[in-house]
Amino acid sequence: MTPRWALWLALRVVRIVAMLVPAAGRGEWLQEWEAELVYQSAHLRDRRQPTWRTSMDLVTRALGALPDAAWLRRQCTLDAEAVHDTVHVVRLLRKAPAFAGIALFVLALGIGATTAMVSIADTLFMRPLPFADAGRIMTLWQVNRATGLGREDVAPGNALDWMARARVFDAVAIAEPRTVDAYVEGREPELLGGARVSDRFFAIFAAPMALGRAFVPAEYQPGGPRAVILSHRFWTARFAADAGIVGTALRLDADAFTIVGVMGAGFELRPFDNRFPEPEPMVWLAKQGVQPFEPTLRGRGYWNVFGRLAPGVSVARAQAELGTISAQLARERPGTNANVVAEVVPLRDHLAGGLGAILPFLLAAAALLLTVACANVANLLLARGVARAREFAVRQALGASRSRLIRQLLVESLLLSAAGAALGLGVAGGILRVIAGLRPIDAARVDAIPIDARGAVIVCVVALAAAVAAGLAPALQLTRPAVIAALRAGGRSVRRGVPGLLVAAEVAAAVVLAVGAGLLMRSFQRIQQVNPGFRPADVAALQVFLSDRQDTREKRLAFFQEALERIRSVPGVTDAGTVSTLPFGLGSLDIRLPLAIAGRPVVPGDAGLVYTTVVGGDYFRAMGIPLVRGRLVDVTDTASSPQVVVVSRRAAETLWPGADPIGSKVRTRFAGVAYDAEVVGIVGEVRHDGLDRPARAEVFIPSGQANFGMMTFVVRMAPGVAPPVQALKERVWAVDPLQTFYATSTLEQLMSRSLMGRRFILVLMGGFALVTLALAAAGVYGVTSFSTAQRTREFGVRMALGAGRRDILGLVVGEGLRLAGLGIVAGLALALALAPMLHRFLFDVGATDPVTLVLVAIGLLLIAVAACYVPARRALRVQPVEALRFD
Amino acid sequence: VKLTYATTLVLHALSAGERHGFDILDATDLPSGTVYPILRRLEREGLVVANWEDVAIARAEQRPARRYYLLTAAGEGVFEAARTRFRVPRAVVSKARRLRPQESS
Repeated sequence: MTPRWALWLALRVVRIVAMLVPAAGRGEWLQEWEAELVYQSAHLRDRRQPTWRTSMDLVTRALGALPDAAWLRRQCTLDAEAVHDTVHVVRLLRKAPAFAGIALFVLALGIGATTAMVSIADTLFMRPLPFADAGRIMTLWQVNRATGLGREDVAPGNALDWMARARVFDAVAIAEPRTVDAYVEGREPELLGGARVSDRFFAIFAAPMALGRAFVPAEYQPGGPRAVILSHRFWTARFAADAGIVGTALRLDADAFTIVGVMGAGFELRPFDNRFPEPEPMVWLAKQGVQPFEPTLRGRGYWNVFGRLAPGVSVARAQAELGTISAQLARERPGTNANVVAEVVPLRDHLAGGLGAILPFLLAAAALLLTVACANVANLLLARGVARAREFAVRQALGASRSRLIRQLLVESLLLSAAGAALGLGVAGGILRVIAGLRPIDAARVDAIPIDARGAVIVCVVALAAAVAAGLAPALQLTRPAVIAALRAGGRSVRRGVPGLLVAAEVAAAVVLAVGAGLLMRSFQRIQQVNPGFRPADVAALQVFLSDRQDTREKRLAFFQEALERIRSVPGVTDAGTVSTLPFGLGSLDIRLPLAIAGRPVVPGDAGLVYTTVVGGDYFRAMGIPLVRGRLVDVTDTASSPQVVVVSRRAAETLWPGADPIGSKVRTRFAGVAYDAEVVGIVGEVRHDGLDRPARAEVFIPSGQANFGMMTFVVRMAPGVAPPVQALKERVWAVDPLQTFYATSTLEQLMSRSLMGRRFILVLMGGFALVTLALAAAGVYGVTSFSTAQRTREFGVRMALGAGRRDILGLVVGEGLRLAGLGIVAGLALALALAPMLHRFLFDVGATDPVTLVLVAIGLLLIAVAACYVPARRALRVQPVEALRFD
Repeated sequence: VKLTYATTLVLHALSAGERHGFDILDATDLPSGTVYPILRRLEREGLVVANWEDVAIARAEQRPARRYYLLTAAGEGVFEAARTRFRVPRAVVSKARRLRPQESS
């Protein structure tokens, strides 16, 4: 049978063409064509094997409806010529499939990429947020200028001071991460990322609830009723969007909470420094008062602070005031706040995340691509116009009016760009889907970016204008009587200047993008070569927060030891251990504590803090962290044996410069336990926060001597054995069936996640660069081959006069290379000027990295030579005699 | 009406008993974009009449009703004139006749 797609396509064609048919007969006309197509398709199904040919036959016949419709339209309208022109142009384009195909491809790519980028910009920065007066909502962050970690969640002590002293806000609120174990009937016990919010939170985010209500004042009081608001995502995923959910109870941890509401869809706050596995809290709770210890916490924070600017206050003024407050606090508390400043970030910028920072580059790249695409199409049309000079001359001689010829060229440009625009919108949709798939972890709302209608219209109009201008230029020039006379005389008046410049511009744009992509790629390579200090392959990580059920130190120890025993019995497991702060972990608690080294003065304040980590089982072996000297801590280090620690090499180098730390005594205090420990070993240093961050000076305490319940199981499998995550979870449930997991993942996934932002910008810039390179190559090829064709006679004459193959080759390739060279030089100059803007995204590569620049230049030269090769071969095949006869 | 070669072929097919647009395409091997405007022109000149087939037939075959074309008396006359003017290769003329029995088989 005829494949269904052929009939579908044929019917679609006929239906579109039907719009041309005069309205009076349209119904019958369509009925006739549809009946014939259905008949033939059914007929073929009965009698013949389906072939590509019979399918195409059906479509070809459907295309015949166009002349039919055009004929009918001519019978009844005065505007017959326009229809005739359209039909004529379609016929001409079908005769030049290469030209039409390339032009459409180029237009579709240019329009598609640019539209996609404009749509992203629109969604992130133009479209209103789902909150009332969203422009006034600010997020506040804590920046420690000493650590260089950038924006961090705010320590409660700082937040409370800021909130008390700031006058620029008319409402301030905090949200605090709070993980809870949720027990939903019929599901595995599940650990949810939740948030506790203070009483003005819902006043700031005046967002409509999907169901129910926000918290009432009583629920914010210490000891008040336990109420929970579900996120829209959680409500849909776990309760199938049950509308009767409000008022029912949900067990969280050991308590029953009443569900009082469901957040509206799209309430995506991206809080807490992206430490949740999900982009938003799954449940919202009321923060019932500030804990007594919280005002004293001024180190690394865990609060999100939001403020709504008072009417008429600018972001700059708010920032200035918070700067003043930070300076006051630095004077008042030099020990903790000397380097801490508050940063005010508009909510919208916060939600755009990393995407907001790279968007200007992507928009610039898209604009370059659109320019190149327009230049390419313009060149194609110019070349085609010149090549058709003879046709125009003949038609004018036969009486065609100048306006008619111009109109026909106009129709051609319009038709091409309209079709290109239609395809381009499809391309834009595809690009947006790819971006949603690559979802940069820290950008909200990229899941479903709609194509922005205004942006698409602007982009299409630009492309249309370029095509029309390029189509009209030769039309106006060629139809001038003087030119026609010249052509009739057999002379060739070809102006190569404009196409040449366009190609040089294309090459320059390609150079700029290739340099950008090259720098990013080299950075990415460099960063992947960074040794994290452990071997991430074949390692699974299961993060658990122990509940109150394990309420004593002994119970906690027993839980972890028994779970480790059971995990070791899983086939394929070679080493298993636990750690309090997993490198690259989600939601790891970084604990920095003052460390006193015996015989040395205590370093006060921030500078004296050292990362302190609890390790249990065979953690170092499971991670593949090497022992440098001394011994590792193990199960023999218990509460009753002498207290010991191991230190990382970085700690040994920075804390004991020029001395041997082994045997040295240190004092610290961790989770209520005082340490007076001896350093017994040095292990390799580990990068925790990212491959582009320095390794940590770190002190490790054995879990047998610590009292800590938030640990991550680290399980190394035999090489090549995929970690059986479910089996590992079941071993833990064998010890405590109610235990939940914060995140289960492999170390490789976690590391890959840390590179997501870089990978995202690399893929996009690389994609743009590749496409632009292809277009530039097509441009060089087009201009060279066109001018070669024009110069056939010249080559013939030269050959007849004794020019050798080498000379001709030199002429053709020389022309191509001159254009490419001009473009490369201009492009490199531009890239040198622009590349420093990429600085933030580079790693271990200078913005003017000579290797990248040279490689890009050589690469483009090679591409240009390759693009000249085919026309050069053609020129060499010129037979002098034929060429001279050629007219 | 302009008696082109293509028009003559279409008249041949009609006189051989082909009635439907796509059957005429099969018989003449002309593209649809040529045949349909010819049919429209012949219809306008009164050389063919067009009509819809019985809906019952179409329904029995589970497809939409097709439109058919018949030569009028004037059409027959023009066809005679055309036949003398263009000598259509025998193979083309007989193609329509040959196709018919095969199709009904």
